[in-house]
Amino acid sequence: MKVLLMGHPNVGKSVLFNRLTGTNVTVSNYPGTTVDYTKGYMRLENKEVEVIDVPGTFSLEPKDKAEEVAVKMLKENRDAVVVCIIDSTKVERGLYLTLQIIEEGYPVVISSNMWDVAKDKNIQIDVEKLEQILGVPVVPTIAISGEGIKELVSKIKKAKSVEIETIVKKVGGET
Amino acid sequence: MELTVDKRWDLIDKISKQTVKFKKYKSTLKEVIGELTVKPLTGIPIAIAVLYGFWSVFSSFAGFFTDGFLVKLFDEHWLPWIQGAFPGGLHNWFYNLMVDVGHIQNGALVPSNSCFESFGALTSGLFVPFGVVLPAIFIFYLMMAVLEDVGYLPRLAVLVDTVLHKIGLHGYAIVPTILGFGCNVPAVTATRILETRKQRFLMMTLLGIFIPCGAQLGIMQEVIPEYMGLIILYLLFGYFVTGFILNKVFPGKTPEILIDVPPYQKPLTRNVMTKVWVRLSGFLKIAVPFVILGCLIVGVMYLTGTMDWLANLFGPIFTHWFGVPKETVGPLVAAFMRKDLAVAQLSAIEMTKYQMVTSVVLVSIYFPCLATFAMILKEGGKELLGALAVLVASTFIYGGLIHLIWILLGVA
Repeated sequence: MKVLLMGHPNVGKSVLFNRLTGTNVTVSNYPGTTVDYTKGYMRLENKEVEVIDVPGTFSLEPKDKAEEVAVKMLKENRDAVVVCIIDSTKVERGLYLTLQIIEEGYPVVISSNMWDVAKDKNIQIDVEKLEQILGVPVVPTIAISGEGIKELVSKIKKAKSVEIETIVKKVGGET
Repeated sequence: MELTVDKRWDLIDKISKQTVKFKKYKSTLKEVIGELTVKPLTGIPIAIAVLYGFWSVFSSFAGFFTDGFLVKLFDEHWLPWIQGAFPGGLHNWFYNLMVDVGHIQNGALVPSNSCFESFGALTSGLFVPFGVVLPAIFIFYLMMAVLEDVGYLPRLAVLVDTVLHKIGLHGYAIVPTILGFGCNVPAVTATRILETRKQRFLMMTLLGIFIPCGAQLGIMQEVIPEYMGLIILYLLFGYFVTGFILNKVFPGKTPEILIDVPPYQKPLTRNVMTKVWVRLSGFLKIAVPFVILGCLIVGVMYLTGTMDWLANLFGPIFTHWFGVPKETVGPLVAAFMRKDLAVAQLSAIEMTKYQMVTSVVLVSIYFPCLATFAMILKEGGKELLGALAVLVASTFIYGGLIHLIWILLGVA
């Protein structure tokens, strides 16, 4: 099993990667710090699992070289579990990429990162409801301080692929 | 099954309406500062203050350690000791390569009395990277890591967007540019965040030619602090003028800037430290062997007479077109390997201060160091030929232009 960390630029993928694997990938507070992928390993139920820190991308239609790398990594790892990292202050935008990845059939776990910033901005996210609608685990995280990382790791095993039609039906819409 | 773009947004709209609530909140101090640093009226003065502060800390810190301790250590203790302890003498070629080439004074060959002049692998080869460059890039990387982690760079990008559009780039090109002042190698990789081939080509070319790296800034700070500002201004002038022309000449598009300005964040000490360490260890692993190798290659070229031959071959171009002594050919050879070494070497050549400025400008623009060249080759591929053409043209134009300026001022 492989774990891919994917999400928009500057949502904290590399910080999370460092947390999960204990490595020291360069992280900064500007979009586009990671322009190539990095591999590392984490322990999951006593097994070594490969984790890949993928460059940030807004969608699966690449518009620069770094995004090309991201999409290529996804397509090359058909058997991977994808941890979709979204910025909790911009849930809608994060969901766009997440839904695209779900539509491609990948098992997904969502890390709703920068939870502290969302709290500061008084944004309230109903995690349970979101989990229920999407049918995948959603874990609030603050990668910088390490909060929620343990729970995220425990949920990686529970990641599953979902039919997009099921999600559409749950919110009461039609396709 | 896949949704269409519209259907997907429609779905997201429904999901978020049921799960996300935006309540009222008061702006935090971070956000107020965030606003102030991005609005032109307050942002531009703040940007100038930040860069000036960066500059002052850099020069005073580097000067303090290098002049205060390391120059004394190397020139008063290490150099005399190794001159005595190393077998051979000024007439032994191996001694020349490793310790001291000596120099002619009143017709006699005498030992050097500083590590800038000796040019041995064990003297200048160690003094340049450890005595001069290391303290300079330490403080440089430290401040840069803080700027990166705080989240200032994207705001700078917004501020300079209009200006950079004039040269075929957009505001975000400030990120590779600023990284380039640290080291050109990661800066070239960072051009991947630019959207079009044209932008990437422009950015790599301008980086390779006009942006001096941290190691070079460090050594300039030590040998020619009084002309450093002038040289950087001239290089930035070249950066903009060349960018402006290339933008007109090369086909391709420059899309609008689309970036997220992240909230300010308190940098994590651990992260800043690891980042500085990763970059410093990169310097120690790659740059130090290159400086020493550069010393040896240049030494061999002097001893075998290759350097004199080159100096005589290119002499007319140097003296007439650029107005610098033909001995400048030595530093230019060294500059293939390392720019810091080249500037150190220049400082030992006798010339006027105007010639010094010209030759440092030449060392800066005429060729990127080998490591950067390799990275441009890897990232740019066939665009490299175009970049090389621009490079050759720029060297002659800007090298000649500065000579012309000196002539017009009556100082050449």
